Amino acid sequence: MSLVQYFRLVDTMARMSLRAEASRYFLGYIWWILEPMLWVSVFYVVFEVLLQTGRADFLVFLMCGKLAFLWFSKSVNQAANSIVMNRGLVGRINVTKTLFPLAVVQEGLYRQGAVFLLLFGVLLVWGYTPSPTWLCLVPVVLVNYLMIVACAYIGACLVCLVRDFSMIIALGMTFLLFTSGIFWDVRALPDPAMTGLVLAVNPLAFLLDAYRQVLMFNTPPDWAHLGWVGLGSAALLYVMVVIMRRNSQYFALKALS
Amino acid sequence: MISADGKPVMLSLEEVSLSYQSRRQSFDHGSHHVLERVSLEIHEGETLGIIGRNGVGKTTMLRLMAGILAPTSGRVRQHPGKTSALLTIGLGFRPDLSGRDNAMLAAMLQGATARQARGYLEEIKAFSELGDSFEERVKTYSAGMLARLGFTTALMTHVDILLVDEVLSVGDAQFREKAQKAMIERITGDQTVVFVSHMEGQVRDICNRAICIEAGRIVADGEPQAVLKTYRELR
Repeated sequence: MSLVQYFRLVDTMARMSLRAEASRYFLGYIWWILEPMLWVSVFYVVFEVLLQTGRADFLVFLMCGKLAFLWFSKSVNQAANSIVMNRGLVGRINVTKTLFPLAVVQEGLYRQGAVFLLLFGVLLVWGYTPSPTWLCLVPVVLVNYLMIVACAYIGACLVCLVRDFSMIIALGMTFLLFTSGIFWDVRALPDPAMTGLVLAVNPLAFLLDAYRQVLMFNTPPDWAHLGWVGLGSAALLYVMVVIMRRNSQYFALKALS
Repeated sequence: MISADGKPVMLSLEEVSLSYQSRRQSFDHGSHHVLERVSLEIHEGETLGIIGRNGVGKTTMLRLMAGILAPTSGRVRQHPGKTSALLTIGLGFRPDLSGRDNAMLAAMLQGATARQARGYLEEIKAFSELGDSFEERVKTYSAGMLARLGFTTALMTHVDILLVDEVLSVGDAQFREKAQKAMIERITGDQTVVFVSHMEGQVRDICNRAICIEAGRIVADGEPQAVLKTYRELR
């Protein structure tokens, strides 16, 4: 299978899944926007209405973080189970196992396109004006995407080897939800050393902060840091592709048994 | 690749074993099978039938031949440049997608481009006699409809070595006859076929060679009538 054909297949699988999913629900494609908005509403009620964080821009602050986080967590969570879920196809065709997680990630990418449009809309309504700095978002989104694919591959392999990882990954996402600065500001921690530590240790916290810096404060991200996260994700992705290509039959056996 | 008697070898298994650790003791449908040092050569144009009781490793053998699984030891060799495909029914369909989408996906996974795959769709719809159900989700299909879709999508793929797993054993009698006829048409060309079935009549009618597997080994190999006799004695 040529590379072009491979990506056409990924695209076809993603579109089919999206269409099938939309046809299952009464509200269809509206869920693309509705689900993330409901998430944001829940967080808004808890942290702004009940706990009163006192930030005037809390809604925008929350949306920048939460919407990007949902992209990551949903894609990785679903992709982690994708090889095992597709064991019918795995047992029938010798195809590289990267196909299944990538199709799931692609699905998430299409959905996220709509979500980002919504985010831009809200930013405009809230009085944020687009500036050339917003172009810095392109590398941020790219690095975010690379990180999602790398994590999706790792997750899919782990679940294939030992099903229990499916539970651990779901739990890990909840852990990241609390530690990545979604409803609290990494930069407002009482100890500045802690801010540095969180940003250095958790690349997701760094990325979410980068979205806010660009969109809310017209500040380009820390390029060196972004570069390292991008390079790390790309390296990890490369290693995973090699592992999955070399051990395609082994993963098939694991998915089937 | 040439065999001792001068015929081109399409596929060969050399001392192939497959074993694995399974905590839940399940593989496929709860059976646990292992192949032990199996050697076999399949020649060009041959129609080989594999028979054996349930759970002796017939499907596993086809999966090894198709390169879906790798042997624990031994070698599976395919003639360079030749393509092979495993055809099975039911399994591998995504229940939330329509028959059309599933057929499209199956063709593309088999290596067809999107345009080629779209070209097959009307043919698949017509042959399978699914009518409007072709646009409905596979989840709503009966076993017979699944068999029709499975067989037809399988039939449309064009490969040098066809590995067929029980495709002809299900569905209603009328469609089964039609499917068998279409299959024989394919086989009478120079198509190489490996055919798993538990229907003795089909093996006798379609195959020109048969093997019988028992407990992970080949216990009979040769003319279908003789191999079927061994098989009946095992049951």
